[in-house]
Amino acid sequence: MDRDTRQNRPPKAGGAWGSPGGYVAALALVVIVTLAGLAIVSLGNIANIGLLFLLPVMVAATRYGLRTGIVTSLASSLAYNFFFIPPTHTFTIENPQNIITVMVLLGVAVAASQLAAQVRQQALLAQASAARNQALAGFARHLTGIGTAEALAEVCCTQASRLLEVNAVLLMPSGQGLEVRSAAPRPAELEFLDHAAARACFDTAQPAGRSTDSLTASEWQFHPITGAGHVLAVIGLSRADAGDPVAADQLPLLLGMIDQAGLALGRIALTDDMAAIAQVRERDRLRHALLSSVSHDLRTPLTTIIGTLNQLRPADPEQAGQLAEMRVEAERLHRFVANLLDMVRIEAGALRLAVEPVDLSDAVASALQDMDRALAGQPVNVAIPPELPLVQVDPQLFHHCLINLIDNAAKHGMSSGPIAISARREEHGVVLSVADEGPGIPAGQEQRIFETFTRLEGSDRRGGTGLGLAIVKGFCEAMGLAVAAANRADRPGACFSIHFPATRLKELPGA
Amino acid sequence: MTIPVTVLAVDDEAAIRRLLHASLDRAGYRVVEAGTARETIAALQIDKPDLVLLDLGLPDRDGLELIPLIKQAGAAIIVISARDATQQKVAALDLGADDYVSKPFDSEEVLARIRVALRHRLAGETDVPRLRRGPVEIDLAARMVRRDGEEVHLTPREYGFLAELAKAPGRVVTHAQLLRAVWGPGHETDVEYLRVAARSIRRKLEADPSRPRLFRNEPGVGYRLMGDE
Repeated sequence: MDRDTRQNRPPKAGGAWGSPGGYVAALALVVIVTLAGLAIVSLGNIANIGLLFLLPVMVAATRYGLRTGIVTSLASSLAYNFFFIPPTHTFTIENPQNIITVMVLLGVAVAASQLAAQVRQQALLAQASAARNQALAGFARHLTGIGTAEALAEVCCTQASRLLEVNAVLLMPSGQGLEVRSAAPRPAELEFLDHAAARACFDTAQPAGRSTDSLTASEWQFHPITGAGHVLAVIGLSRADAGDPVAADQLPLLLGMIDQAGLALGRIALTDDMAAIAQVRERDRLRHALLSSVSHDLRTPLTTIIGTLNQLRPADPEQAGQLAEMRVEAERLHRFVANLLDMVRIEAGALRLAVEPVDLSDAVASALQDMDRALAGQPVNVAIPPELPLVQVDPQLFHHCLINLIDNAAKHGMSSGPIAISARREEHGVVLSVADEGPGIPAGQEQRIFETFTRLEGSDRRGGTGLGLAIVKGFCEAMGLAVAAANRADRPGACFSIHFPATRLKELPGA
Repeated sequence: MTIPVTVLAVDDEAAIRRLLHASLDRAGYRVVEAGTARETIAALQIDKPDLVLLDLGLPDRDGLELIPLIKQAGAAIIVISARDATQQKVAALDLGADDYVSKPFDSEEVLARIRVALRHRLAGETDVPRLRRGPVEIDLAARMVRRDGEEVHLTPREYGFLAELAKAPGRVVTHAQLLRAVWGPGHETDVEYLRVAARSIRRKLEADPSRPRLFRNEPGVGYRLMGDE
């Protein structure tokens, strides 16, 4: 890379006046041409010997520049005049034709040196551009294959420091502010002012710091590195001699590097995103696998237990009662396992609702039938007006909601009175309530009672993690319904209700 | 029954097969077991079961694919399925399964479903001229419904609804099957028609329409005329 930087510097011709070596060489040529001319003349008188002097003039003008060319042309005309124009060995010119020869030599010197200067200028530009492209290509080569932002920061700093012969530092956002990720050739110590300049650069996506439009008091000059439309990082440059960090002729190279770094950073960010997505997908796959295996492994033994309990027919009435209780509890356990799995599925977004119009009296009748054994003869009053609209729910989930509410009422009502299931039309929809005559809900706990694993303090409500109610709330909310709990107004006891907003109703054509 | 009826119990769990085996044995059926789709297909050919109790979650093949094969072999099918697998149940019924039971099942319920399915299979669709459920009498031959001996006027759709259930007493009839039979093809998803008809029938025939005794709705699946036992 050192070679690149050398080539990057244009080979100087020694300023506008040219190098002393150029003058020496040009004058030597004039001497040689003069000697050659004298030799030719001694062999025979040949006209237009002056043309010979075009050679040193052209060489001097093209190789060493305009002024060397002019000096050479003057020297050539003097030599020509002195040695070849009669009267020879004097500087006087008799023939006006020979004055033209001197003028032509001068003109050729000027024109040739101009042309040569232009060609040389273009060659220098091409050389500089080639060197820059080579440097950029080298930089890009370093960037490919980099997979992390850290590695990229390091490459950016080392390459910038080497190619531009500056101190480089790279900052990236982390948490609240910007953090130095890498520096070259030595660790950077940024002052408060430098941080402010970096921050300004990051926020405005404009260069900031030394020799820019803002916060020029900083020793560092910061440039934003953008990728995918955002400022992803900030690169800072400074010189040990506190000079201008980026010379004008280095700016294209720097900007090119910054563009390359932005592309690479954008690519890294994209790769990181993809990796995150893949991780989420893998987690979902695991959760799904876990769910189905838990579902199978928990439910199969429960099915066997319940099935076996169903087949036992003890003669002893006491044992028969115990068996019936075991069966009810095992079924409740099975129900909760199923509900819990549904709950996880809902939260994972894996449960697709199959919504259809459902008649509340159908739904309640089905739920009561399935709960026949758990109710064990406990009376239930159902009051559902026949003219109510249908409700738009997932019938299976809604069935579970009703079963859990009835189960809850049966448990907490403590057989002290009938369970009352009623539905009524209200201003903004339809409300279905399940009420018991148990001890009710302690004041202020009406919302908490729906939270998962809530057991109400200061209450003698039995058996409760409140899982059943949490499931009711989860299912209802998944279906766009609201739940509420309150104490009954007419008598002691709790009342749980499901509210169907107007959007979840389907009015019947004839009703 | 002079020749014992053969029931093929298909479930990948040995414990559940044993459970089914025990209760079917006690009820006097000849029982064959299968744990995979392969074994099921083999048993269909060798044992010629009259009825298959089919768990859809088999390790080697989707149980739904077996339903047409079992139908072809001439056996009745009762699907055993997880309680919440509503769509699976409906798919099985629409493929031609006779009925389903949900896990965890009650062996009494399984036996009752088997009796209904076998009766239906032996009797055929048209051979049920008249049914009585409590005070309600459904006369399929005369296309007439009576309550406490008096004719009750039902609309053609209401009668059709009730007749479809009465042709398969005790068995579930899916929403789509009912809609196709009574309202015609193209109405298979208009579930609200069924709700309106059911409500109206109950108002005319039930003592307490909010505690129906004549037929019940299986959430998300269909309707079932309740048993006469």
